Amino acid sequence: MARASLLISPELCIGCRACQIACKSWNQLPGDKTVNRGSFENPADLTPDLYNKIRFVEVPSENNPVRWLFVSQRCMHCDDAGCMKICPAPGALYKTKEGAVAFNKDKCIGCKLCSSACPFNVPRYDKNDKVSKCNLCADRIANNMAPACAKTCPTGAISFGDRDALISKAQKAGYAAVYGQADLGGLGAIYAFHDAPKLYGLADKPVIPEMVVFWHKYLKPLSWIGIGGTAALMLLHYVAIGPKKDQEDKDDE
Amino acid sequence: MNRSDLITKESTFGIINHWALAISCIVLTISGFGFLFQIQGIGSAFSGFPAMKVVHNWTGVVFTASLFLSMFNWLKESLTFDSDDIGWILTAGGYLSHKAKVPPMHKLNTGQKFFYLTLLVSGFAIAATGFIIWLMPENKSMLVLSHFIHNVSFIVITAFIPVHIYLSTLGNPGTLRIMITGKIPYWWAKKKHPKWVRELEEGHGN
Repeated sequence: MARASLLISPELCIGCRACQIACKSWNQLPGDKTVNRGSFENPADLTPDLYNKIRFVEVPSENNPVRWLFVSQRCMHCDDAGCMKICPAPGALYKTKEGAVAFNKDKCIGCKLCSSACPFNVPRYDKNDKVSKCNLCADRIANNMAPACAKTCPTGAISFGDRDALISKAQKAGYAAVYGQADLGGLGAIYAFHDAPKLYGLADKPVIPEMVVFWHKYLKPLSWIGIGGTAALMLLHYVAIGPKKDQEDKDDE
Repeated sequence: MNRSDLITKESTFGIINHWALAISCIVLTISGFGFLFQIQGIGSAFSGFPAMKVVHNWTGVVFTASLFLSMFNWLKESLTFDSDDIGWILTAGGYLSHKAKVPPMHKLNTGQKFFYLTLLVSGFAIAATGFIIWLMPENKSMLVLSHFIHNVSFIVITAFIPVHIYLSTLGNPGTLRIMITGKIPYWWAKKKHPKWVRELEEGHGN
């Protein structure tokens, strides 16, 4: 299968949050105890038991004092994934052949480095200190089923399918710039926004922290070069110049 | 004193201290490379990456404690410099030419002093950032910064390892015994550490 993705169209979202429930249901995640914060948005943020959340944004509009924007917030399944770059445990985070960034809790060492490298502040940690986030229902899509959220969405605000097809579908529907089309090698969750991404709480240009990129590009190779280089130099010294010769027990005073 | 009489260069405390540093440093370096490049073989040798993390963290505690204690052994000497140290640097310690005339040294030569100071600084940097990564991962910008510094000091320390091991074994045959018995023959001490021996003989050295 070519790369699959979610197309999220906030204009179609009615804020019913059936996707939040379907996600919990399929992934067997318990409910989170929440408090009334004066908003229908609930819980306030992603949690280890909440992979997908509808963010409620209240903004004034031209002809109405209040306009509500709803948008699904979750792992974006970046092609160039910061979490995978920094993860020290092989197999804890991995790419499925459909392009989803999935996880294996048994292999996670609980270091939380992934959460520091994520451009979208997504990975959470459960009570056993294991990574917890949307995996694009990797088990469902491996069996040719849409992720639970997309399957449940009653309005088509979340649709799932071939990534290229979804992009051209969004473009045909009049969305010139699809959010996430090219960012970070292309996101696995793309957004059809009429408004600025900022309005929905998303950065215009999401990036992996510079320090993580620099570390990955330069410090990692330098680690090998450093120890290997000096080892080679020492060998060269032994061959070309040789060890100190003043070790013998003889008087040279 | 006879030429072959043994004199004590390192105390038992110093010997144990050095072994604790050496072993913890090697375990940390191996597991560190395992994490850095996700090397399956290394992870398996520690019975999996989650177990390797536990070993890495607690070996880090041993390393940090040993590094702290090492200051009582080698810091004072390592901070003492005089004009002979310039001469040592100019002659590259005699390592680039066997004909070079190296100035007389005290208990540690200039290279050893710089090595110790480098290890001390980068060792405390890698230890402090290691503890932050281990114990305070919730602050993300701090975590990224610590992870960065952890790796910079890792490069410095690991690049020094082959140099240090080479110079105490193949490069200077016979040196390794200091790490095991702490003792060196009188003639050796006089040749390599004349200023220290002079102080000892004048009765105000240690």
